[in-house]
Amino acid sequence: MAHNDNAATLNITDEEIDHICEEFGNREGAVVQILQTIQDKYGYVPAEVLERVGEDLGIPHSKMFGVLTFYSQFYREPRGKFILKVCVGTACHVRGAGLLVDKIKENLHIEEGENTEDMMFTLEPVSCLGSCALAPMAMVNGNTYGKLSGDKMVSLLKEFREESAGAPETEASPAS
Amino acid sequence: MVKLTVNGKEVDVPAGTTILHAASAAGFSIPTFCYNPRMDPAGSCRICAVELEDSKRTVMGCITQVTEGMKVLTESSKVHEARKTNLELLLLHHPLDCPVCDCGGECPLQNMSFSYGGTDSRFESHRNDEPEDMKSEVLVFNSNRCILCGKCVRICDEIQDVHAIGFINRGFDTIIGPPLGKKLDCEFCGDCLEVCPTGAITDRFVRYQFRPWQMEKTETTCTSCSSGCRMVVDTENESIVRISSREGLGPNEGSICVVGRFGFNGVQSKSRLEAPHVKKAQRLVPSTWDEVLPELSTKLSAIISRGEGRVAGLASSRLPLEDAFLFQRFMRQVLKTNFLDSEARQGFMNMALPLVSATGSLRPMVDHEDIVKADLIVVLGADPAVESNITGLAIKKAVRKNRAALYLVHGRDVSISSRAREVIRLAPGYEAVFLRTLRETLSSGTNDLSSEVRVRLDGWGVNPDAFLRLVSDVKSSKRTIFVTGRRFHRSDAAFEASHELIRLMGERGLFASEGSGLFVLPESGNDLGVLMMGASFEWLPGLLETKNSEQRSVWENHWNTKLPSGGGGLREILGGIESGEIRALISFGVDPLRFLPDSAGVRKILSKLELIVVADLFQGPLADMAHYVLPAASSFERTGHMVSAEGFVQPLAPAMAPWGNALSEGNMILRLAAQMGCPLPFDSIEAVSAEIFRIFPDLRPSTRNASYFQGKTGEILLSIPRSQPPHKAERESVNSRMTDFLKQTPHPIAAPVVGDEVTKGENTFVMTLSKSINHAGTQTLLDSNLMTIEGEGFLRVPRQWARKMKLKKGACVSVSTSHGRISLPIDPVSGMAEGEVHFPFHFADARFMELFPGKVSFNAHSGAQSGQTIDVKVEPIA
Repeated sequence: MAHNDNAATLNITDEEIDHICEEFGNREGAVVQILQTIQDKYGYVPAEVLERVGEDLGIPHSKMFGVLTFYSQFYREPRGKFILKVCVGTACHVRGAGLLVDKIKENLHIEEGENTEDMMFTLEPVSCLGSCALAPMAMVNGNTYGKLSGDKMVSLLKEFREESAGAPETEASPAS
Repeated sequence: MVKLTVNGKEVDVPAGTTILHAASAAGFSIPTFCYNPRMDPAGSCRICAVELEDSKRTVMGCITQVTEGMKVLTESSKVHEARKTNLELLLLHHPLDCPVCDCGGECPLQNMSFSYGGTDSRFESHRNDEPEDMKSEVLVFNSNRCILCGKCVRICDEIQDVHAIGFINRGFDTIIGPPLGKKLDCEFCGDCLEVCPTGAITDRFVRYQFRPWQMEKTETTCTSCSSGCRMVVDTENESIVRISSREGLGPNEGSICVVGRFGFNGVQSKSRLEAPHVKKAQRLVPSTWDEVLPELSTKLSAIISRGEGRVAGLASSRLPLEDAFLFQRFMRQVLKTNFLDSEARQGFMNMALPLVSATGSLRPMVDHEDIVKADLIVVLGADPAVESNITGLAIKKAVRKNRAALYLVHGRDVSISSRAREVIRLAPGYEAVFLRTLRETLSSGTNDLSSEVRVRLDGWGVNPDAFLRLVSDVKSSKRTIFVTGRRFHRSDAAFEASHELIRLMGERGLFASEGSGLFVLPESGNDLGVLMMGASFEWLPGLLETKNSEQRSVWENHWNTKLPSGGGGLREILGGIESGEIRALISFGVDPLRFLPDSAGVRKILSKLELIVVADLFQGPLADMAHYVLPAASSFERTGHMVSAEGFVQPLAPAMAPWGNALSEGNMILRLAAQMGCPLPFDSIEAVSAEIFRIFPDLRPSTRNASYFQGKTGEILLSIPRSQPPHKAERESVNSRMTDFLKQTPHPIAAPVVGDEVTKGENTFVMTLSKSINHAGTQTLLDSNLMTIEGEGFLRVPRQWARKMKLKKGACVSVSTSHGRISLPIDPVSGMAEGEVHFPFHFADARFMELFPGKVSFNAHSGAQSGQTIDVKVEPIA
């Protein structure tokens, strides 16, 4: 997996974490929502914030780590700016999802679950996304792209790159 | 009550009882892995499956509550089938590496498989083969062997309240370990190791060094602190292999702390004294008892022939009752001196003296069970989890289970701080004035503080609002327990503060009401017992006063001898040596050169002695000066009884033969007295025990969670027929004494009794000496296991200060006073009062004593060493 120097420069302050926890009333029961909010904001849940969240909510560190590792939705490592969720469910599979994945791997030089060196993309094959009529399909940062082919995918990747270069830097992005 | 049948046997149990308990009430045992009576049931291992006759299915015995008319079968074929299947599943990924597993031979999983399991499996699966987590030097986590019963996680959460380990990941990938894959960082109590029903957690110190069935087990009492933990010592070929406990054993209910569990290496280290040594031409040379005892006897006889009070004696508080009894009798009757003292003088005496004068007893009126049931627990200058680990567990349980209000009055956060309703910061030395203010506020009836009092509290570092909440909680609480510890007992104002506390409690009726009382944490294993046996110049056995001729005559008549009065404790002994009156010093395990400041000055005084005799486990500064050094037996090599902080009188059982030619102090005394022609009328330590229990029937051996004591061979030593808790003092007699005490005028407080005003200058701190959880005394520094866990003393400094000075853990700082300067590595910790730093007193090599004033000072009333906190300047070393 590509290493990301941004994690160190992320520089999340304790106050930011406290603020998020306060929004949920520092309730123990809101721990999953709080971790989700943190992940939304920073792209993953950095190890350094876990202890602080625990202190704010009164949950021991060992339990916080248990929650974090229990749910597959949480990421402990930084991820790319664009998460390429390529469906490899049955319908997409028979319509060539495998080729789609191969194309991405070849184009971006990454394996499944990995980030590109520049932290732009993360390849994440997923099981059925429920849009079988659009097979083969992928979901990128919440947007659906259907009836894909290898070439279409490559041009999509190019578009994302241009979009990123043109758009002003947003706070929500951990990578630049 | 609910009526049900278990295997056809009818039984009545209260509603809410689980099937497991109901079956046990009916006389049937159900196997368990994940169940432990001290913790909430989890129902995760499913081995306790039982059949319900009418519902045609199996349920989990440990979590299912009984219902009316339930018909439970615990050993039916269906049950066996269920347990067999469960075992099949539990063993699905298990490596079955029993031949190389430390747990093999005492493994519940192995035993259960033997009882219920099949020889083959219907499932095909890979065996787990993950590498072990070897990051910790103490415990090794082997996830392959783990059956995820969760006992280790739960005992760490529910009993220890440390939360060091947890479940990580999900499903088949679940493992147990510390968070973030880091090295285990905890109190190293090893309870997780103890409860693990497989070899998933192993003890790194002794891995692959034993087979359980080859070891001999001896149940004995831990002497490291005053908790009085019962533990099991496993030995092979007369050497200790490991120390463990047993579910529910003793007052500690099966828990033991890091020192008790891992600190057994020092006593079998190469530095143990093996033979008596005698000084010849400035050098100590090995000798034999037959040579040393006659010589010693002649020298002592010559000295005592010059008159009374020519010899002084010091006794360690680790001596059992019997040895302490013999010590004081030997000093008084044979050596004709009342110059005798014990380690209790270093602090505990500040509490013991007022307590005995007020209540007539040293026995606590409350125990750990009362602490668990209390509404309000006020901890004054103590770190219970560190000083008496099991008391700490009781306090944590009271807060967690019964929502007791916990107040901590201390200068810094200690391990229980996070559970406290209020942490009241109090600068050291202000305990007496604080308690007087508390007492006066309580008796004034007002619910507010005058501005004058507020200013005063502020000046002592106390938050007035927190103080008011304490006042209101003391007023409303029905079961109030005050706990005092090391910091409180060793404060300069400790004697006065103890007086104030006892008066406060007396005025509030806290000695009279059931469930309320004072719980004192003595520092050493047998502080209580040593004082009860009269190893202090003030008291004869049974706390009879030496200076009271009527009380003295009780023992004079019994022993048919005249007993010396006068004499004195450590302060008077040093004075007597300096003036030349005292010519000989016999020390049984006490080394004043280790704990008194100005060791050069003390050394000079001691050098005036004609004869110094030291009986100890190891060579030390005083032993270096001694003319005779006698090898003493450790607590693992002797018999005797210890009195715990709860007041239980518990036996020591020898787990191994005495080291080399070592003798217990009691046996040395018996032989020496006989040699001197004044034999004491006992032919063994057992005879002394019998005499003590005959004279003091209320000191009969007692413990919790055991109906009898077993000796090495398993024979019953002593049955305890009493129904009354024998470890508690009689409330009635205590109360009648209290009434008289309250009529006396309050003990004056030189206001405030502190060394200096607390200076709040830049980089100026009050330094206190604290106890580390990983060490007990200074001798544990010779224990390789404990030194692996904590091998260096760090000056604990406030984190915010370290951040400001840009100093990280391990950075060296210069610590100075007008008397000296030393350099120490720091450890920044949170939760410290801004103006305080502390250093673990065990690490004497750091030479921190050089910071203290050149003259030893003592509390005027108790003779306890004072000035144990000091203002220091802490600066980074450029």
